[in-house]
Amino acid sequence: MRLQNKVAVITGGAQGIGRAIALGMGREGANVVIADLQGERARSVADEAQALGTEAIAVEVNVASEVSVKRLADQTFEHFGRIDILVNDAGIYLKAPVVSKTEEDWDRTIDINLGGNFLCARAFVPAMRKQKSGRIISIASSIAHTGAREFADYAASKAAIIGFVKALARELGPDGITVNAICPGSANTDMPRRHRSEEETMARLRATPLGHILEPDDIAGPILFLASDAAAYITGQAYNINCGTVMI
Amino acid sequence: MNQVALITGGGNGIGRAVAHRMAAAGMTVIVADFDHAAAEQVRAEIVDAGGKADALSVDVTVAREVKGVVGDVAQRFGRIDVLANIAGGSFYTKRIDDFTWAEWKKVIDTNLKGTFLMCREVAPIMQKQKSGRILNTASNYGVTGSALRAPYSAAKAGIIAFTKSLALELAPDGVRVNTVAPGPTDTPRVMEKETPEGRRQRWSSAIPLGRTAQPEDLAELYYFLTTPESAAITGQLFHCNGGLL
Repeated sequence: MRLQNKVAVITGGAQGIGRAIALGMGREGANVVIADLQGERARSVADEAQALGTEAIAVEVNVASEVSVKRLADQTFEHFGRIDILVNDAGIYLKAPVVSKTEEDWDRTIDINLGGNFLCARAFVPAMRKQKSGRIISIASSIAHTGAREFADYAASKAAIIGFVKALARELGPDGITVNAICPGSANTDMPRRHRSEEETMARLRATPLGHILEPDDIAGPILFLASDAAAYITGQAYNINCGTVMI
Repeated sequence: MNQVALITGGGNGIGRAVAHRMAAAGMTVIVADFDHAAAEQVRAEIVDAGGKADALSVDVTVAREVKGVVGDVAQRFGRIDVLANIAGGSFYTKRIDDFTWAEWKKVIDTNLKGTFLMCREVAPIMQKQKSGRILNTASNYGVTGSALRAPYSAAKAGIIAFTKSLALELAPDGVRVNTVAPGPTDTPRVMEKETPEGRRQRWSSAIPLGRTAQPEDLAELYYFLTTPESAAITGQLFHCNGGLL
């Protein structure tokens, strides 16, 4: 088990990719904090993680709220006394052309997807600094590289995460903390289904060079690697996991 | 199933660490190197540690040698699951107007052509198996360029684009192809020319993690890219440089 006794916080951990990451970390021996806006779902993932024999708690959090993120940090430290791994996966995906996108939707997307990375890093970095170790892994997207019609705010927020991760990696390297991003392609979760039919979603998911449907566990695997000691020398990177659809 | 890994440049430095990592994971490792004695040494180290290995010498720039060696490995071991192309080097540090055509060719051929020739021979075997992983080796210089290392930078950039193209060609057969780009790494070849103190002074402030890489740091990444955890990854470039780039 590569993450024995580590404490991991996974925002957006209640479903999809975040859930796969949380359970993957639990299987590797980490204690996990499932942090999500959907408290009920977060609790059910925490139960699943407990069933793997690890310790898990659920915390309801709005990553775009300073107060709420502070509460997440407080509860993490209260319960586990430390943080080793922060996975920033909480995000939203709202569809509208730029010309009709409302300012409210723009702010929500940028505040949650990008601002959540900032607030969570700010809340957990001091503890990582003190212990001179830590892993921060942020979920960006292939769309950071390609853009996507009617998802300009999402694309901007994900590209900005990559810039943020690179800057933070430089800031925190001297403290032995690594910071990396993962850029998944479209994965077999609820997210792509929100704006497309089931048939269209599956056709798009299948249309990759590898012909392999990108599952949440395909994304969790590389994150477990980045969280482990094996990746101690990797920082400031944005690794692509997309079955070969985007190569940059 | 016993997996077979063929590692060029396996006699030294990063290649040697990769050979050890793959062997520790239970693979049968074929250590291929220009320097047969070095390959043999690594083979013996692996066998002493309880692993399975063989050694052979190959000049990756010579098409008929590559063909012969790959054919021989395929015949003796029945399959090739992992090909790690690590043979390479910058050889010279000098201004472009001081490079002879022969020197230019040596750098381009050892790094880029060698990668092509190895892939050309191994890819059909992996396609027939409907599985395989190829790991090519670039460098941070393949992205940033480097004064006094123009052919090396060009060759490494070439490997990155070559890898993407090959990834697209082989994806339908379930063969994945990725590039690892090491940053400054403490290999014996590098350490011959530098003192640990000089190296520390040169790099510690430029690298956010404050140290140069050990070959074992790279070996972990090569190994990860052979595991099922990386099943959805192809055509990608993986920097491992402590945050230098």
